[in-house]
Amino acid sequence: MIKILVDRTKPTTEEIKRHQNFETILDKASINETKKILPWYYGAVGLASFIFAIVTILL
Amino acid sequence: MAVNLLYHQNEFRLEDEMRQIEIAKKDPRQFAPLYKKYHEAIFRYVYKRVDEEEAAYDITSSVFVKALASLPRYEFRGVPFSSWLFRIAKSELYQSFRDKKAQRTVSLDSVTIVQFIDELNEDFSEEQRTTLLNSLKLLKDHQLQLIEMRFFEKRSFKEIGEIVGLTENNAKVKTFRALVKLKEIFNRTKA
Repeated sequence: MIKILVDRTKPTTEEIKRHQNFETILDKASINETKKILPWYYGAVGLASFIFAIVTILL
Repeated sequence: MAVNLLYHQNEFRLEDEMRQIEIAKKDPRQFAPLYKKYHEAIFRYVYKRVDEEEAAYDITSSVFVKALASLPRYEFRGVPFSSWLFRIAKSELYQSFRDKKAQRTVSLDSVTIVQFIDELNEDFSEEQRTTLLNSLKLLKDHQLQLIEMRFFEKRSFKEIGEIVGLTENNAKVKTFRALVKLKEIFNRTKA
């Protein structure tokens, strides 16, 4: 259900500025990026280890 | 109609912004000036659509996290950076509504209500005001979005189109249809 608010108090520019936190944005964005990379990273490392083990056994 | 200065930037400023984006793509720390520039506009866009201030700050924060993470894929294809951010904000808002982290809200002020009742070719009265507020609740969300952006936030059709992913002309046609629909509901509710 939609809620309608009339003449609601608006935070001032100063109040909004106080909520700016670029470091948090940076951290969260890099965590998200790491999460995205991790499965591929482990997959690649796993595959490389597997190939290395096969080659070692064969030699 | 009020002019949105962050949207209607001159060519020099847009070029400067593009340079800033390219630098930020290589070094995320350089995204800070863009974050500072658009934080308030995005917050106000979100705040008008949710009922709790804290939820609005959280959603605004997630908009910039998403924007920063997706920045390497951002390319200027005629859609200004501000509209790209508003698109992300729109999608984050709807995700919050789906996750029930925020309540879909329409924020209006009394002056806008009087102006909008005039737009519907009606005379203002307390009864008309109540009818309008009830009618807005009965609109489909995509129609409400267009009415909100055009009549309550005074955005141009070009900007509306860029935010919702329509051409300027289509945004105009669909906003007009939404207004017709609202008039229909308004008259039905009044009767």
